[in-house]
Amino acid sequence: MINDKIKSLLNPAQRQSFVISVTAFFSTLLLLVLGSILALVIYRGTAYFWPEPIYSVAFVSQQDNRATVVYAQIYSEFEEDGKQVRWLRYSHEDNPFGTQILLDEKDTLSVIESANGANITLNDGLSVMGVPVRINGSASAAFSEQHYEVMRKKVDEIDASITDIRTRWLSEIHQKLAELDQLNVARDAPAREKLNDAFHQWQSRIIAMENERDNFSIEVAMADGAVVPIALARIQDIVFPGQLSFVGKIAVTFTKIGQFLSQSPKQANTAGGVFPALFGTVLMVFLMTIIVTPFGVLAAVYLSEYAPNTLLTGVIRVSVANMAGVPSIVYGVFGLGFFVYTMGGNIDALFFSDSLPAPTLGTPGLFWASLTMAMLTLPVVIVATEEGLRQVPTGLRAGSYALGATKAETIIYTVLPIASPGIMTGVILAIARAAGEVAPLMIVGAVKFAPNLPFDGEFPYLHLDRQFMHLGVLIYDGAFHSQTDAKGASMMFATCLLLLLVVLVLNVLAVLLRARLRKRYLTN
Amino acid sequence: MLKLFEHETLNVHNLSDEETAIRVEDLSLSFGQKQVLQNISLSIPKHRITAFIGQSGCGKSTLISSFNRMNELAPDCRYSGKVFINGRDINSRKENLSQLRAQVGMVFQKPNPFPMSIYDNVSYGLKLQGIRVRRFLDDAVEQALKDAALWSEVKDRLFESAHVLSGGQQQRLVIARALALKPDILLLDEPTSALDPLTTLFIEELMAGLKKRCSIIIVTHNMQQAARVSDYTAFLHQGKLIEYTDSDTLFTMPEYKQTEDYITGRYG
Repeated sequence: MINDKIKSLLNPAQRQSFVISVTAFFSTLLLLVLGSILALVIYRGTAYFWPEPIYSVAFVSQQDNRATVVYAQIYSEFEEDGKQVRWLRYSHEDNPFGTQILLDEKDTLSVIESANGANITLNDGLSVMGVPVRINGSASAAFSEQHYEVMRKKVDEIDASITDIRTRWLSEIHQKLAELDQLNVARDAPAREKLNDAFHQWQSRIIAMENERDNFSIEVAMADGAVVPIALARIQDIVFPGQLSFVGKIAVTFTKIGQFLSQSPKQANTAGGVFPALFGTVLMVFLMTIIVTPFGVLAAVYLSEYAPNTLLTGVIRVSVANMAGVPSIVYGVFGLGFFVYTMGGNIDALFFSDSLPAPTLGTPGLFWASLTMAMLTLPVVIVATEEGLRQVPTGLRAGSYALGATKAETIIYTVLPIASPGIMTGVILAIARAAGEVAPLMIVGAVKFAPNLPFDGEFPYLHLDRQFMHLGVLIYDGAFHSQTDAKGASMMFATCLLLLLVVLVLNVLAVLLRARLRKRYLTN
Repeated sequence: MLKLFEHETLNVHNLSDEETAIRVEDLSLSFGQKQVLQNISLSIPKHRITAFIGQSGCGKSTLISSFNRMNELAPDCRYSGKVFINGRDINSRKENLSQLRAQVGMVFQKPNPFPMSIYDNVSYGLKLQGIRVRRFLDDAVEQALKDAALWSEVKDRLFESAHVLSGGQQQRLVIARALALKPDILLLDEPTSALDPLTTLFIEELMAGLKKRCSIIIVTHNMQQAARVSDYTAFLHQGKLIEYTDSDTLFTMPEYKQTEDYITGRYG
């Protein structure tokens, strides 16, 4: 009926352009959605790095009806119930590390951009807004950037010598004391006394140096003139957004991106960097690829080259294709139940029985997570490889057989190289899927915060049994637990952006590799 | 047309064992329900070029494929009868398939070089036989390419991909690949049907030169080609061997009406 109506309304040329318009409309809609996702993530994500201006805001406090003046950063301005509202975070003498407030326009007295206000970020992720006025140390003087650098250097030197004493002397003494403990040496044995003396000597030196270090501090003036002292050793960096040129702001942004990529999360994943999560994600995907590729390729070779063309083979093929549609959490549960508890538990009982009941491998960890993800992406690799194998021309197989090659030789020397672009396609899809998956990881090894990286200088260097951090899990954690802090929310967007970039980079690498293989094995 | 200067014409129906490259005894072959070859018996002489002609689907390709057991690749292939090469029953269980296929080289209709370098293409068969000595491989590759009249064109780019070669060069490369294994018999399955006339001529000249090294069997649709290059010609029709004799006789005085109809183009 609609068909007839359209026919009566439009001539054939119009009908064609109508169809084109309708299909083009939906393509555009899709592009728009993709574009807005990207735009949002990029806009909110980059805001985490961009130095925002600091304002001097005067307002009437709701609690005691007194006028207060503070240094603040404005997160957003919006209208609520017909009232203009500002959402800001400010530093005050009572709470120098920042409080958030929703401020009504009617309570606001003034909002002035502060030229010399600084955003001081501390090593533990906290930050203070204020004006550094004095710098105390070997001598007390007015704050200047040159002076700050000089003092900073001194503090770093003291820090370095403390670390030096700790690693060079104290750790050795600790180890020797532990050995004595194990040998049940008497409390008052001369060897122990000697060690104890040495220990106390070094310890008191460290305390002295720490005191000396803590003498270095800067005084930060709040907007109302109150002064808050901050130890120099706690400070990571001082940024004056009001004094920065555009180029200077870009430089600060790049420094912050560098810190974001190289530091650990701080303040319960609301500040700092994401290095452990980035490392964990890439390592997990890498291990998964190493596991899934041989399994997937060999299974596909059997299915498409050797398996007899029977109903059973057909059923297996359909099941493999359907495995790709199984919800990922199901794989997670399987990984926990089978890999972690059954396999890991049995390995523990067999090989690590002396450390039981503390589990060694019978606990969620990197290896089990990689194995679970490999299982999850296996069907993708199998299906793509089978497709690649089907595309190998029969003429080439015949040519190989005609030269005396057996079936296995033909597959190894001719068929698999030609199918390698198809295999790479499967691996690309597997990587894309694995890098973005979160749900199964949370039950087989990814955690919100891992104290150690799965890779370090301690034998055996790669610790597959350790739990690890993952960008996706970090985003999940941030999205649910850090919404009260706008800074934390924008960190989650920055993490999203990074996750997108990681997937993009992994994909581009795989696509380049595939293009190379294609060029090499292009058949007419 | 006078081949008398080159060698005497043999009677293919009465060859001695020394003169026989392949002897086929009562060979029937079917794929599934489809009977492709029916009770074929013939002897193919050594160091001669024998052509198989016939319509599409008459079974000529299947017949030469049974000389190196390529038909086995189809899972539903059934056969009866025997094929002897050098007096050996090639379908016996003792037969080493790899060695048989090295001994009986095959070239297909469409050039099918492997997606690797020219050198690797030619040395493919030798490497499969476990030969890894570099110097030996180098010599064998050079000799095979010279035998296939390709050496002068590719000697400077042996390690480039075989796909940069032209169609005719690719087909000669495929011939060189088979020749590297020093085969006794070379099967050519419509080797020039995908090539232009000039290249075809080149390959035909090559075949005449190769006669000294091996017995050549060629399947062709092109009657002129069969007449030009072959010493003996067999005409097949619907899976049956109709006529088999020296080419001069077959193309000038065919014994059977079907043969005459085919070579004069009344059908096919």
